[in-house]
Amino acid sequence: MKRLALILLLSASAATLRGQNLSDLIISEVLPCNDSSVVDAYGARSPWIELLNTSQGAVNFAGCYLSDDPENLRKSMIPKGDAATLLGAGQLVLLYCTGDRSQGTLYLDFVPSPGSEVYLVSSDGRTIIDSIKIPSDLPAGTSIAKFATDIKETQFDDVRPSKPTPGTFNGRHEQRSKSQMMSENDPHGFTLSLIAVSVVFSALIILFLIYNLSGNIFTGKIRLRRSRRQPDPETAAAIALALSMEGNDDAVAAAIAAALHLHYAESVHDTESGIITIQPRNASAWCDNSLNFRKTPYKK
Amino acid sequence: MDQIFDSLIQFWQFTGFANCTWQHLVMIAIGVVFITLGIVKEWEPMLLVPIGFGIVIGNIPIFPGLNIGVYEDGSVLNTLYQGVRQGWYPPLIFLGIGAMTDFSALISQPRLMLIGAAAQMGIFGAYLLALVMGFAPNEAGAIGIIGGTDGPTAIFLSSKLAPDLMGAIAVCAYSYMALVPVIQKPIMLLLTTKKERLIEMPRPREVSKKEKIIFPVIGFICTAFIVPSGLPLLGMLFFGNLLKESGVTRRLANTAGGALIDVVTMLIGLTVGASTQADKFLTGNSLKIFGLGLLSFIIATTCGVLFVKIWNLFLKPGRKINPLIGNAGVSAVPDSARVSEVVGRGCNPANHLLMHAMAPNVAGVIGSAVAAGILLGFLG
Repeated sequence: MKRLALILLLSASAATLRGQNLSDLIISEVLPCNDSSVVDAYGARSPWIELLNTSQGAVNFAGCYLSDDPENLRKSMIPKGDAATLLGAGQLVLLYCTGDRSQGTLYLDFVPSPGSEVYLVSSDGRTIIDSIKIPSDLPAGTSIAKFATDIKETQFDDVRPSKPTPGTFNGRHEQRSKSQMMSENDPHGFTLSLIAVSVVFSALIILFLIYNLSGNIFTGKIRLRRSRRQPDPETAAAIALALSMEGNDDAVAAAIAAALHLHYAESVHDTESGIITIQPRNASAWCDNSLNFRKTPYKK
Repeated sequence: MDQIFDSLIQFWQFTGFANCTWQHLVMIAIGVVFITLGIVKEWEPMLLVPIGFGIVIGNIPIFPGLNIGVYEDGSVLNTLYQGVRQGWYPPLIFLGIGAMTDFSALISQPRLMLIGAAAQMGIFGAYLLALVMGFAPNEAGAIGIIGGTDGPTAIFLSSKLAPDLMGAIAVCAYSYMALVPVIQKPIMLLLTTKKERLIEMPRPREVSKKEKIIFPVIGFICTAFIVPSGLPLLGMLFFGNLLKESGVTRRLANTAGGALIDVVTMLIGLTVGASTQADKFLTGNSLKIFGLGLLSFIIATTCGVLFVKIWNLFLKPGRKINPLIGNAGVSAVPDSARVSEVVGRGCNPANHLLMHAMAPNVAGVIGSAVAAGILLGFLG
């Protein structure tokens, strides 16, 4: 049992680790020609690459590589030992492509150009975690970005040119609110009302059916197991004796048969154990003379 | 001398008198009316007295920058208001409601649950009307929930969908909850015949302890799977009920249904009242919300009563339902059930409808939480 629990625990841990590993990192946005976007720590408008942690846990991307050359995936390594490489859940980081990695942890050895493809590579230097293709006709000052395509904002399959949004989650700011979408799709509210009323009724109808069924079970209208017990030999002998004592009275025989039928088929009678137990009872406080606080009256 | 004079002028500028506007006075008057109705008429005093006093607190003209107002970050009132703003007071109230509510009436007559669903039409009727009046869908959803006649649910949903309208919606919901007997009775009498009002229903069966324990578990799983967005309300409601019915957590149930709900009711009433500052509350939208709230309440009551009347057409004589319990489909527990009892006894003093009306009443609580979950899912 303990072993089973241990296996389950380890499996759960493994699943958790899988959910928070490097594969949850994506390249969410790239700006190859920075003419008006953010400046780096040195005050220069360098091209930048934005990484996003899409998982629900922290991911450390130290030791990973970034490259714009499929033949050389180890072009620029992210150094280890800097807390800046630890990305919390849903967190973003900007990597500046200055061509000089010595400027800091978040500076890369290459400068991506339009038409190239940027790769995020695992620490083994071979496994491509994510990539993004920069269109060759991308105008200066425009980034290529991945936008969330699912309601939970974990899938980023919509890749398109965008106004640069460094350090900002792609999707929420550009996504219309549900209210706006509802305003366009269902301006009069009939669809929502119809669906909502149906759901409310469905929920309560399901509850009604369940409680109706459970009520019938508890009140005995429905029996889960229909037992058809056969009379045991002693009972059969007792019945035979009773019938013989009553002589040939058909009415009595019919009454006994009906009672037995109800007992065995319908279970209308309680089953008695047939054992009578008489246990001695200890005297309770109210009648115990030794505990009685009212003394017996006596005449002086 | 000049210094003293300047100091006095400065002090005057700090006082409420110097900063007072007619809007402040109107709101304070509204607060006093609420307190009076609560104390003198005893209309929902547990709600109207804290809300009324909260309105007075929130509308004392204050000098800006003192960091004491409900909308000023870090102030005491603002800290207490976070329970409303973040929506964690309403689930706590639902916990207490669950711990106090006996669902036996519902378990013994599950068919009456459908009345609780029919009465939720008020929510969607008000939603449609609010859209017609020009409110955005999220605002319309928040306004519509007033039709559920459930204060905590209204606060919970409006804090998520339309925080700007929350003060007006909350005050409106609680005001109409207090006016349940006044609003519902004439509608019930108008929609029913004397013969229908005299319908006697069979006494509900006894419910076993096992059934009562199973109810919250199954009820929660079913409703939460259908509408996961209603999880905070449904989870707390059924959890509270499980505490009550399990029999082994009596202390927890007593706390949830006693001290806890009392504390949260005080805080929610006071802070909701305080959030109705004149500049935010005395607007055309507030008047529209009050109008829509009343309409939603009327629609809910009407739909509940009419649903029973239509249903009766398909029921055998011995199984007919008194349409006077149709109003109880709204989730104002137990006020609307009490109205059914009072109106029913007005027609036949021997006809007690309270036990029967409690079934749609508590079903209404579940129904409004489900409806809130749907609106939150679509519009949140």
